Amino acid sequence: MAAGQPNRLPHGGRIDRSQPLAFSFDGRAFEGFAGDTLASALMAAGVSLVGRSFKLRRPRGIVGSGAEEPNAIMQIGEGAAAQPNLPATRVELRGGLNARPTRGWPGVRFDIGAVNDFFGRVLGAGFYYKTFMWPRSWWKHYEHAIRKSAGFGQAPDGPDPDRYEHMNAHCDVLVAGGGPAGLMAALAAAKSGARVILADEQNEFGGSLLASAASIDGVPAAEWAASAVAELQGLDDCVLLPSSTVFGYHDHNFLTIAERCAVHPGSSNGEGVRERLWRVRAGQVVLAQGSFERPLVFCNNDRPGVMLASAVSTYIDRYAVLPGRRAVVFTNNDSAYRAAISLAGAGAEVAAIVDSRFGGDGRTGPAGELGARVQALGIPVLAGHVVSDVAGRRRVTGASIARWNGDSWGNVRSTIRMDCDLVAVSGGWSPAVHLHSQAGGRLDWDESRHCFLPAEARQAHFSAGAGNGKWSLRECLADGLRAGADAVSKLGLKPVAVRAPDTDADAGENPIEPLWRVPAARDADRCPRQFIDFQNDTTVADIRLAVREGYRNVEHVKRYTALGFGTDQGKLGNINGMAVLANVLGKAIPEVGTTTFRPAYTPVSFGVCAGESVGELYDPVRTTAIHEWHEAAGAPMETVGQWHRPWYFPRDGEDLHAAVARECLAVRKSLGVMDASTLGKIDACGPDVVEFLERIYTHNVGRMKVGRCAYGVIPGEDGMLMDDGVMARTGEHRFYLTTTTGGAAAVLDWMEKWLQTEWPELEVYLTSLTDHYSTIAAAGPNSRSLLEKLGCDIPLDKESFPFMTTRPAVLAGMRVTLFRVSFSGELAFEINIDSNDALAMWRKIMEAGAEFDITPYGTETMHVLRAEKGFIIAGQDTDGSVTPVDLGMNWLLSKDKDFLGKRSLERPDCLREDRKQWVGLLSQDGRTVLPEGTQLIGDAGKPAAMCGHVTSSYFSACLGHPIALALVAGGQQRKGETIHAALSGRDPLPVRIVSPVFYDPKGQRQHV
Amino acid sequence: MSEAGPPRPRIAISVRSGRGFLNLRLNPRRGQALEAAERILGQPMPRAANTFTAGENEVYWLGPDEWLVATGAKRVSALGSELAEALGGFHAAVNDVSGGHVELLVRGADARTVLAKGCTLDLHPREFVPGQCAQTGLGRAAVLLAAGDPSTCTIVVRRSFSGYLRRWLAYAARPRGARLPAL
Repeated sequence: MAAGQPNRLPHGGRIDRSQPLAFSFDGRAFEGFAGDTLASALMAAGVSLVGRSFKLRRPRGIVGSGAEEPNAIMQIGEGAAAQPNLPATRVELRGGLNARPTRGWPGVRFDIGAVNDFFGRVLGAGFYYKTFMWPRSWWKHYEHAIRKSAGFGQAPDGPDPDRYEHMNAHCDVLVAGGGPAGLMAALAAAKSGARVILADEQNEFGGSLLASAASIDGVPAAEWAASAVAELQGLDDCVLLPSSTVFGYHDHNFLTIAERCAVHPGSSNGEGVRERLWRVRAGQVVLAQGSFERPLVFCNNDRPGVMLASAVSTYIDRYAVLPGRRAVVFTNNDSAYRAAISLAGAGAEVAAIVDSRFGGDGRTGPAGELGARVQALGIPVLAGHVVSDVAGRRRVTGASIARWNGDSWGNVRSTIRMDCDLVAVSGGWSPAVHLHSQAGGRLDWDESRHCFLPAEARQAHFSAGAGNGKWSLRECLADGLRAGADAVSKLGLKPVAVRAPDTDADAGENPIEPLWRVPAARDADRCPRQFIDFQNDTTVADIRLAVREGYRNVEHVKRYTALGFGTDQGKLGNINGMAVLANVLGKAIPEVGTTTFRPAYTPVSFGVCAGESVGELYDPVRTTAIHEWHEAAGAPMETVGQWHRPWYFPRDGEDLHAAVARECLAVRKSLGVMDASTLGKIDACGPDVVEFLERIYTHNVGRMKVGRCAYGVIPGEDGMLMDDGVMARTGEHRFYLTTTTGGAAAVLDWMEKWLQTEWPELEVYLTSLTDHYSTIAAAGPNSRSLLEKLGCDIPLDKESFPFMTTRPAVLAGMRVTLFRVSFSGELAFEINIDSNDALAMWRKIMEAGAEFDITPYGTETMHVLRAEKGFIIAGQDTDGSVTPVDLGMNWLLSKDKDFLGKRSLERPDCLREDRKQWVGLLSQDGRTVLPEGTQLIGDAGKPAAMCGHVTSSYFSACLGHPIALALVAGGQQRKGETIHAALSGRDPLPVRIVSPVFYDPKGQRQHV
Repeated sequence: MSEAGPPRPRIAISVRSGRGFLNLRLNPRRGQALEAAERILGQPMPRAANTFTAGENEVYWLGPDEWLVATGAKRVSALGSELAEALGGFHAAVNDVSGGHVELLVRGADARTVLAKGCTLDLHPREFVPGQCAQTGLGRAAVLLAAGDPSTCTIVVRRSFSGYLRRWLAYAARPRGARLPAL
């Protein structure tokens, strides 16, 4: 016996005794071995109390050995790398592992909340709904207290330090589950030349073979599994994924797998990967995920020491851990006899096998090989008996056994009492149909096996093995082979003949007899608790209460009783719960049906869902060709769509307001320069380009002469402004269109949609030039001087190159296209240049502009300058409900042609005079900058009807007072009127409605 | 940094500098436009969807009436003018988009596996064969991906996304010890 591991068997198991691993649980130090799970190590160490139940805080022990474990739910690790809510049965032991139970305060061994168990009668289903809903206003107080006592585990307290990644994969056949059926299916498919992915949630392939006493083809089952894996590894195009759970089966045979990689939480240092999400597109899928053993429902069946019979076998045979010294085995089927044989072989005493069957036929046990083996071992069998109750609180101390007459709802008197520290139970098996159901497959209730079996598939998948109701090893191997070959045939490949291996495993030939609830000494509402869902403390009495209160549908009963709501998603208890519900309703089980199986099969971490898309890779950051200069200049960035644009360029500790005031004045007085490269740019050409653009834009495109620019707006079909920008006619049949930064892709899509689907007869080609051209806006009275100083091959004077025209030119020795357009109202030139040359041009501009105190400015200054001029920003001053008319752009709407959205503008609602219209606002106090979004009201009285809201608002350094733009009901007819801005925490502020053009209303400055 | 421990993915990522690009749109069913372009390019234009031809230039199929011509930066201007002239009688659009694209070369035994982390297409060397290309997503960026030999792929990405994409590639290519299956 290993030190500190009183329950460790002296030999056997798939553990490495040469590698002891120290770990801690609930603050205490323990030791296990490599190959252990946290659960097997705790059991070896003699820890039988591992958690407290959710509501009643009853002491709980380990029940299972796999994903079904409801009780041993652990918080693993500390701080940012903590992982909440992992079942100990799924945590591979490693040195230094630090585990805590997720429930139990102040500790798992003494939990104050355990008083709930004694007051428990009132804590039935729906207790919280009934009690804390009244009075309603008190909910916030109740919630506070309930939240504190509820919940599982704790969220990590910092950003996850580990790396995760995604992997897209394609295969011909995905095999989910690497037990006997899965291995055979993978072999059959891979040998036939299919691309195969085989995934198993355990760290070793083999599934049940790893704890099986049987031999296959003359070698121990685990050895056969290892050779099968070796054979698969040698085949081309076969990907083996251990520690990988297929957790989601989505549409179009798309499946998701969570792979737990070798890296331990908190240790990846950005080097290794902790978990990987596989996104698999599979031609065919073989589902071989096995089955779950069901517990039996009797009084106090949740006491530590009551375990699944198969788990008992697994702990003994795979982990060399003896779960108890004196066991009672309680079953309604043959499989638990193997646990009895394992127990006896490991030196435990099996007090009795209590078998609910054979009561009527006078037999003393099952026929066949199992019965004979048990008899040979001298294990007594109590046929026609049930365990009706167990004694012990923190550990089972004895079982009460009664004769059973076949009536689940009558009362029984126990006549036998046996001392024991372990009750191994088996209520039969339920195939893991989760993925089959997620894929939309139907389930059929099987009247002889007493379980739901996968029926016809909705997607391209086959079920095999125990998950297909094949309980014996021989059947599993053959069924896996069959499914693999079926999958290969469906793919159109020729299946290569693979021989079904031979096995000496017994078949287990005595049929199961259903036993959904074990009767007790008193009726079901008064007897000690009979648990169905261990994690959520759902009992038989809760289901009866739900039915009494009128719930009939299984989905409603589930929600009312919280059956299957835990992190285990009811893998252990759901079928028992549905069967009990059917019993109570007097219906057949298939009539009641199952609840819906949804992804994820087992909990999946947020980290693996996010994959690489965290931090700087969360979303693409688009940058301009001049970005590195902005960064070097220390400009804070503003996120505009996916772009990072310089927000402002602070000098010597300036804040935003100081920098923006300086930048604005520089543009108005001398020279500013801005990187406007993010504007959308589209080349449109073709013989029908004028006709096309006439339909898209509202103004008369055809009247534009070559070399002319025009401001244009694009309405949607509803007449609402969608985007705007300057366009230039660069040829008889060629235009250069610009869009807003955020609207670039949408406008191109919009235009292509109309060209390709509605007007295919128009010959127009569109090409995005957004990334190719960089745009540098030089604005201010000295902008012309700047260009002259840089050296330009064309005359720049007002007559040769007037406002709203464009010219190709050579500037500072580089080929550019110049646009005399202005978004600031100042004399301005926009320089379009190949992005490869943009940074060089920018540097030359900064150098040449020094004598004019050239000032780079960012998006904030651009916003202020355009607001001073009353230019809109689509998406800020508009929100999809604003027409060009609302914006005062009637002059842009051609009466001589049709365009998209024109008819919508004639709808009565668009003609209402009290529509919200775009106006300027001035704070009457001359100093308050209204918050954007401020609601506007007519008079200051309360309550007051809202008549609009502020869309843009800034302090104008140039004007020396705040300015705001707003949408106000009937605003265009209300200029000069004083209304009020509703400000939080102070009296409404009087504001005057004015023209949205605050500066240079005649537009003289840009025409110089 | 120590080079002990599990290996890194075998992949090399480089930027191909000195490249020029032309976006070409024409109607292949109209007259001899395609043939006129081919005469200038000196190589066949791909007619099958999602393929490319390699010769003096690489010509990628982008759509039924759209191609991307990758060529040397020094040649792009003249080539663009010649194409525009040759296609003058047709409805066609020739645009120099050299400033708008960045070409990356990804090579190595694990190159396709690393790309598969962020690309949903089947990149198996039997499925994505030399001469094939695809406009697809890589990470969260839209790219043009072209297959070379089993250990080589070319990526053309819009300039503004290239910083993101290079960071993404560097991240995806970094982890040690990842059990990277060959695709």
